Amino acid sequence: MSDFPALFVRLFPPAFRTQFGGDMRDQILRDAALASRRGVGAALAFRVSTAIDLIRAALAERRNPTWKNLRLPSPDDQERATMSSAWINDLRHAAYALRRAPGFTAITVITLSLAIGANVGIFSVVDAVLLNPLPFANADQLVYVAASAPGSDFPAEFGVSSEFYVQYAERSELIENISTFNSFTSTLRLDDRIERVRMSWPTWTLFDTLQAVPVMGRLPVPEDEDRVMVLSHTAWRTWFGSDPDVIGRTAHASGEDRTVIGVMGPDFWFPNEGTLLWLSSVIRAEDLQIGRFGQRLVARVAPGTDHDALVDELDALASQLPERFGGSANYASFIEQHRAIVRPLRERLLGDVTGPLWILLGSVVIVLLIACANVANLFTVRADHRQRDLAVRRALGAGRGALVRSQMAEALIIAGLAGVLALLLAWLGVPSFLRAAPDGVPRISQAGLSASTLVFAAVAAAFAAVACGLIPALRASAPRLTRLHESGRGSTGERHWGRDALVVGQTALALVLLIGSGLLIRSFWQLRQVDPGYDTQDIFTFQIAPTDEHLVDAATFARFHADFAARIATMPGVVSVGLVENVPLNENVSSARFLTEDAQSDDDDGPHLSYTWTAGDYFDTMGIELLRGRVFTADESISPNANLVISETAANALWPGEDPLGRQLRAPGSEIWRTVVGVVEDTMQNGFRDDPLGLLYLPFVGTAEGTRALTSPAYVVKTARTDTIGAEIRAAAREVSPTAPVYRMFTMEGLAAASMVDLSFTMVTLAIASSLALILGAIGLFGVLSYVVAQRTREIGVRMALGAEATRVRRMVVVQGARLLALGVVLGVAAAAAATRVLGSLLFEVRPADVPTFVGMSATMLLIGLLASYLPARRASSVDPIESLRNE
Amino acid sequence: MSESTPGHVSNLEYHVLLAMADGPLYGYGIKSAVETESSGALMPRAGSLYRVLARLITSGLVVEAEAPEPESPHPGRARKYYGLTEPGRSALAAEARRMRETAALAEERLGTVRSAR
Repeated sequence: MSDFPALFVRLFPPAFRTQFGGDMRDQILRDAALASRRGVGAALAFRVSTAIDLIRAALAERRNPTWKNLRLPSPDDQERATMSSAWINDLRHAAYALRRAPGFTAITVITLSLAIGANVGIFSVVDAVLLNPLPFANADQLVYVAASAPGSDFPAEFGVSSEFYVQYAERSELIENISTFNSFTSTLRLDDRIERVRMSWPTWTLFDTLQAVPVMGRLPVPEDEDRVMVLSHTAWRTWFGSDPDVIGRTAHASGEDRTVIGVMGPDFWFPNEGTLLWLSSVIRAEDLQIGRFGQRLVARVAPGTDHDALVDELDALASQLPERFGGSANYASFIEQHRAIVRPLRERLLGDVTGPLWILLGSVVIVLLIACANVANLFTVRADHRQRDLAVRRALGAGRGALVRSQMAEALIIAGLAGVLALLLAWLGVPSFLRAAPDGVPRISQAGLSASTLVFAAVAAAFAAVACGLIPALRASAPRLTRLHESGRGSTGERHWGRDALVVGQTALALVLLIGSGLLIRSFWQLRQVDPGYDTQDIFTFQIAPTDEHLVDAATFARFHADFAARIATMPGVVSVGLVENVPLNENVSSARFLTEDAQSDDDDGPHLSYTWTAGDYFDTMGIELLRGRVFTADESISPNANLVISETAANALWPGEDPLGRQLRAPGSEIWRTVVGVVEDTMQNGFRDDPLGLLYLPFVGTAEGTRALTSPAYVVKTARTDTIGAEIRAAAREVSPTAPVYRMFTMEGLAAASMVDLSFTMVTLAIASSLALILGAIGLFGVLSYVVAQRTREIGVRMALGAEATRVRRMVVVQGARLLALGVVLGVAAAAAATRVLGSLLFEVRPADVPTFVGMSATMLLIGLLASYLPARRASSVDPIESLRNE
Repeated sequence: MSESTPGHVSNLEYHVLLAMADGPLYGYGIKSAVETESSGALMPRAGSLYRVLARLITSGLVVEAEAPEPESPHPGRARKYYGLTEPGRSALAAEARRMRETAALAEERLGTVRSAR
């Protein structure tokens, strides 16, 4: 009795309940007691009328805005109770039915779990990398600022010079805070431990701009100059043993002792996850070097700032620079061409992987669609077999809703099982997927089965249940009662347009994926064919950074490295050793403007060229071909001289159509003329996709004046023992300079593979997805044709009895499959033509609408499809007429 | 029932206000008073009664009030008392006046009708 009012009072909004619930119960109980004294009929009438009154009032109050902001979800308990018991019943029946059809259950569960598992796996990566917010407050206000100079020979995008930072920081109205940033490896030394680590040297404003706060200590202020550093949480743990008194301790970082003033939290990273510490600097308007480009900027703008408006403001500010800071006529003309680049910081930090990850997610969604189409087909077949059973239930008065529910119950169980299995697959598969993923993807290590991944899996499974179950359920819920008269399985060859549409659809989707992966495979192949100008086979590279006290200038460092190179050259199996400041594919080279003898003044236009330093047998070791003249002699490369080796592109840019040997060039503002002694073949410095750079090779020591010391060049070692030489080199390094870190050990082959990893990674995963799609598509076609053949067994038997030849019967079945295939291929080609454009920048020397790929992949799809049709066709032609008729 | 505009008072609302005119009253007391004072014409069920009470409270005619006298020790939970606000009192008075006027009008017309026959 006491439950009766409580049940209905629960229908009211929570706030209403709190105020009146007790009194309402009180009244109902008292009146109920009065009513029951008047007899059973009165008691019943009271209950009914009270129930109606309460429900009406509760529904009205639920719509009343007064309680709305206080409203809590409170499901309609009673209705749910009756619905859920019906569902539980249906699920129990469905589970029983599925246990009796283990083949059907296994195929559908495996198909769906593979597809859902792939989706969950890729989603977990997308979730960790792209959907998680950056670890900075209000990250949408952060922008990345760089420079461009359309129409000049500057790169498409490059860092600004310090005066831009000063100008923007002081005069921009839209920018609230701004900082430079960079990322480089340098030596960190703490007591006996010495290593090359990744660090960043921003201006002191970085943390304010990012609105990041330390977990210990404080952030830099201008008065700190460059004597302090802020540690990452990782550096604090791994270098300072989580010392609670770390603030105030000093360590030798990037050439100087610096004091630890703060420690960031474990979630903070900038501009990449590997950055161990941040130094600090101050850029002042008083002591600027004008026109030294290369500073990347991060800025916090006012909320809602339009990026185009910001670009306009920054351009206007930049145009005032020559007036404010002076500079050459050349600088002034550069400023005229300058146009600021503003991009969301998020895009800059996550950049390269965004496209491939969305493409991968899109492709596994397609696989899921195909899998659903397959399973839906199987469900339809299963429902057709039960037409008679359903017709009986319908005739006995079962409502259509009940029939749909009983059919959906099976789909729910299948999808639920598949979802669980998919999580298991994703849990097993994601780690190996991550190992194959490109390096340097922020937060990819955190991909895993998070809460949002579980929700995604549930949504994907629910989608699969509806997609697989609903159409067959609706179809099956309207059985024709005439089926009752039929003895068993139908024998008409009726058309199943729904099933045909599913086959056409999955053929089309599979073809889209096939064409996509075909384009990537072709791109990869083309990229492998590129001649980078150097060998990648059997070349080992590393760097060593000695800090011994006798190393003081360019000459002493050069001597050290030349000696060490000579020592390595004597190791067994080593063919030759060379030195270079920037090894291709690993480090960017610097660039500057250079002037020839023809230039009248410093302000004259000269080509923008890249430059690096080299010594030893660099060109021989790398297999860079000498085209004219000679390369540096062993002595020349480590003693002061002004000779120069240039690349072919540089020669053409400096002296088009003329003999460059013996010609001279200089940097603007420099009195030193350098003489060209040799021309070598072009090399791909940054990657195989770029056009070759015009590159100048300077000798290691340079001219007599105190040139910059090359402290830690890259060694290139030609040897067949690239896998074992590393340990020997480390051992040798310990002998010559015990404190020198040896780092960045790579093979050129490894660097080449890494430079293509965004493409190869996407290619491999898309190839897996498209093979899966191809197989599922073929299975789908096979299933449908097998079913059609089974349906037409009697008809085929009659035809064969009347003398039809086996080949004719086979052709009849194959033609039916081919029709569906052809339609699917046409649709697939059309869809692919639209879809492959998203591959955009991943493609290399292959157009998105590459005809050979489209033709080849369509042919593959047709071939596999026809094969899938032929198997049922063969079975059809082997029908025994007598047997087939006896079956009826 | 009362999906009425503010200012207008439905029959049940009138009787609920009327029940509290002598002083604050608790829920079941209001219900009993409404039944008696409407001569059994209104026998509000719990849902309807408390909806009306909620509406009167949110429109400022009724407030939760102190119990008028020290309650006799009650074994159950403490009762909530409700009383009229000043606007509630005026609304009740206005409605009473309106009813009196319509009653007078009805009597007048009924008299006219009768005399015409």
